[in-house]
Amino acid sequence: MPRLDWRLAVRAFAGFLAGLAVWVFLSPLYNRAIAAAAEKTLRLFERPAVTQLRPAEDNYVTVDRRDFDPRSKRPGIALHDLTFNIILLTALFAASKRPFSDRNIGGFLAAAAILALTHVLGLVVEVMSIYVAKLGMWSTVHYSNVERNVWGVANHFYRLVLMYAIAFALWWVFRDPATAEVAKKKKRR
Amino acid sequence: MPMQRTQVLFLVKFFAILVAAYLLIAWNPVNDHVIVPFTEGVARVSGALLQGIGQPVNVTGTVIRSSRFGVNINNGCNGVEAMLILLASIVAFPASLKARAIGLALGAVCVQLLNAIRIVTLYLLGAYQPRLFDMFHTAVWQILVILSAIAFFLIWSARVAPPRLATRG
Repeated sequence: MPRLDWRLAVRAFAGFLAGLAVWVFLSPLYNRAIAAAAEKTLRLFERPAVTQLRPAEDNYVTVDRRDFDPRSKRPGIALHDLTFNIILLTALFAASKRPFSDRNIGGFLAAAAILALTHVLGLVVEVMSIYVAKLGMWSTVHYSNVERNVWGVANHFYRLVLMYAIAFALWWVFRDPATAEVAKKKKRR
Repeated sequence: MPMQRTQVLFLVKFFAILVAAYLLIAWNPVNDHVIVPFTEGVARVSGALLQGIGQPVNVTGTVIRSSRFGVNINNGCNGVEAMLILLASIVAFPASLKARAIGLALGAVCVQLLNAIRIVTLYLLGAYQPRLFDMFHTAVWQILVILSAIAFFLIWSARVAPPRLATRG
């Protein structure tokens, strides 16, 4: 286990700030990619494929369907709320004893790539939770109570705790084991 | 380097416990009789801290309000999410029952202390720097509270880890 000293805390905090900066400045571009991937994923399971996810201002994405009445209001999703666990991942990898080692950087990139996939799935779940419960009579007619519960719980679980657990688990899997080896050698002395 | 069996087992247990604990707290009777009263307690403590630094706030249920600003403490802002991560990681980690109990109790106290500071600063930001409120509410404090729970787990596990697990830690 890594020794949690002040240097480690400083590295983690620096990683937190770096992650926050990257997340703030790259979000507009990143959100477009996530929205496009989520739209494609949703359309894979739609007959006919009607969902359109349109990036809007302030990191929102508007949920549209070609079969909706053009006069009705379109729901929006704050993508920021689904993707900020990248800051946690960055802070955890930055806390490594050798944050810029090839192994740590490689691990971080692999973990970040998988995290991006979970962001796409998170957005898909969010859209489905809107479809099943938040569109009034349309939701009631098209989806069952079981579907409402499943998608609603999945969405709440992701937002409340799963998004952090995923970042933690990815770090746990991809972190640089060299840090632990150093700790082990120190322990033997 | 491939993961050791114990590491895989830890992750499997971690997610299983997390799902079970989430389903328990999301169950309406538990939410209504445990989580909501707990959140009201969090609001009362945070309101008292704010009053202690001269803020004219009133606390009603889970709402802290003044003429300037109000915050409603919901799930996700009461520290329970960080306590779930702590619970799942500590219970999944191989340690004695006593070590786990001490870890959970101390960890919960640490998380809640930090969470009280979060609520106080979020109120102050909302009242005096509203432009910064969203950023700090969504990303900054949420991540810091979770990070503190993970940091607590790492410190705790380093103390109680059996030698085999300490090698990859």
